[in-house]
Amino acid sequence: MTPSRFKKILLILAVVLAFGLPLVLRSPTYLHILIMLFLFAYMTTTWNLVGGFAGVLPLGHSVFVGIGAYTSTMLWLQWGISPWIGMIVGGLIAAAVGTLIGLPTLKMRGAYFALATMAFVEGIRVMVENIDKLGPFVLNGPRGLNIPPLPEGSLAAFQFASKEPYYYIILIMLLLVVGLTWRISRSKMGYLLMAGGEEPDAAQALGVNVTRYKVMAMALSSFLTALAGTFIAQLTLFIYPKSVLTLDLSFELAFIALIGGRGSIAGPILGALLLRPVSEFSRIYLSATLPGLHLIILGAILILVMLYQPRGLQEPITRFFDRLAARFGNGNGGTEEKA
Amino acid sequence: MNMLEIKDLTKDFGGLRAVDSLDLSIGTGEILGLIGPNGAGKSTVFNCVAGLFPPSSGEITFDGRRINGVKPWNLCKAGLARTFQIVKPFATKSVLFNVMVGAFAVTDNTDEARERAIEVLDFLHLKKRMDMRAGNLTIADRKRLEIARALATGPKLLLLDEVMAGLRPTEVDEVIAIIRELKGRGMTIFVIEHIMRAIMALSDRLVVIQFGRKICEGEPEAVACDENVIKAYLGEDYAAS
Repeated sequence: MTPSRFKKILLILAVVLAFGLPLVLRSPTYLHILIMLFLFAYMTTTWNLVGGFAGVLPLGHSVFVGIGAYTSTMLWLQWGISPWIGMIVGGLIAAAVGTLIGLPTLKMRGAYFALATMAFVEGIRVMVENIDKLGPFVLNGPRGLNIPPLPEGSLAAFQFASKEPYYYIILIMLLLVVGLTWRISRSKMGYLLMAGGEEPDAAQALGVNVTRYKVMAMALSSFLTALAGTFIAQLTLFIYPKSVLTLDLSFELAFIALIGGRGSIAGPILGALLLRPVSEFSRIYLSATLPGLHLIILGAILILVMLYQPRGLQEPITRFFDRLAARFGNGNGGTEEKA
Repeated sequence: MNMLEIKDLTKDFGGLRAVDSLDLSIGTGEILGLIGPNGAGKSTVFNCVAGLFPPSSGEITFDGRRINGVKPWNLCKAGLARTFQIVKPFATKSVLFNVMVGAFAVTDNTDEARERAIEVLDFLHLKKRMDMRAGNLTIADRKRLEIARALATGPKLLLLDEVMAGLRPTEVDEVIAIIRELKGRGMTIFVIEHIMRAIMALSDRLVVIQFGRKICEGEPEAVACDENVIKAYLGEDYAAS
């Protein structure tokens, strides 16, 4: 058994385990925590397309979550259009908005892109909080939108009576988006994106229209992030500006990616795996006394990680697995380590 | 036909005239050396030609096409490649990755790009380092990596900005051999270099600039004896009068 074979088997085992887990784990609370874990792994992976590969720091990705959530919910409440279709429509609107934000800001170097995205999400939140009706659409300002629950659930309405279908939907979404990221990282687009993110002048001299590639990544990332918005709306059946359009959410995605390791494929997933429990438990046990504490904890972890593992926690963990793979892969102990 | 024609090129930075009505041409297959004291405007000429700065006035023609204001990435695709004086490797990525980015200028296929990159690395004696992180290379290897990336884009005209600065004499000889080999393949090359031994040995023709103006042009031997050139490099006192 070769080391790469060993890694493949390990990966397949993890996927099988993820698919089998709801058969053993019946508690809705724990399933919900796992759903949130996959959801954040998904959103951070889509964030990583811009924040990791394109080498900029988007701090306003919740605006796309919000666009996805509001679009599909409004289409459902207003015209009874299935949220599955609303999901795609929301994605397309988000891609258009992402392109519009990206075109002027992705040309800028340094912190301007980060600042612009932050300002944008705050602007949109304040707007939505102050609009009760927009044309034919009811927005309800700060009160948000309620999706009337269907007790027996319905696939077309993207509503289910139990947690399991949500679990499988987000798991499949996560696997697809990780697969897509993997493909991109090995394609021309991935190479040119990473090159432009690291040394824009050199990349341009080598024939790369850096801004164009960054805008393309931004559009793709916005589209995929918006899909998660619809998922959140259907999972919670209640959305309001402070739940899907906040800087808190935007920052949390950036924190998870930076701590896990931006620009790598495993980083966002590892980050979510390690940090989501921190957020969940601090919310469960401390939200009454210290709301927002999870962001402080994440901030502290981020400082430590940046000091001691600037490329994120994925680096030591990947190294550990490589060593493990080498050992088990060859079945003869530590000889491979020295080679 | 000339590969590159520069007519009356001027570039101002605020009140500073970095390049002043410069005329220059490079024939197809020729090696032209551009020399001059520090701050003479050599790199600015390169940056104007490579599309990094738009010229303030004047005209640049590459391969029969006016290229004022054409973006660097389009110039690269048209066959004009350059290296940077201050090397800019994709430092956290492998040497192979660096060269593959260049190779993607001529192909969309990852496997083809990899093959092409390995070929170029082999030509520059960098193949054994291809899995190393570019940031861990020695300065000599980084300079060679700059050339490798530029070559991978398949250029007709190659601009080399001080690719030999900081190299040991034996390493300089290696690069000279590489550049001669490229000329043998029919490539047109425009070189900026401070190492006189190298530029004298390489260039078919030399252009000397000072304060952005051309002060001398001709065969290397003739230029080396020119009074203006000696003054520019060594000061008034050294000119034979």
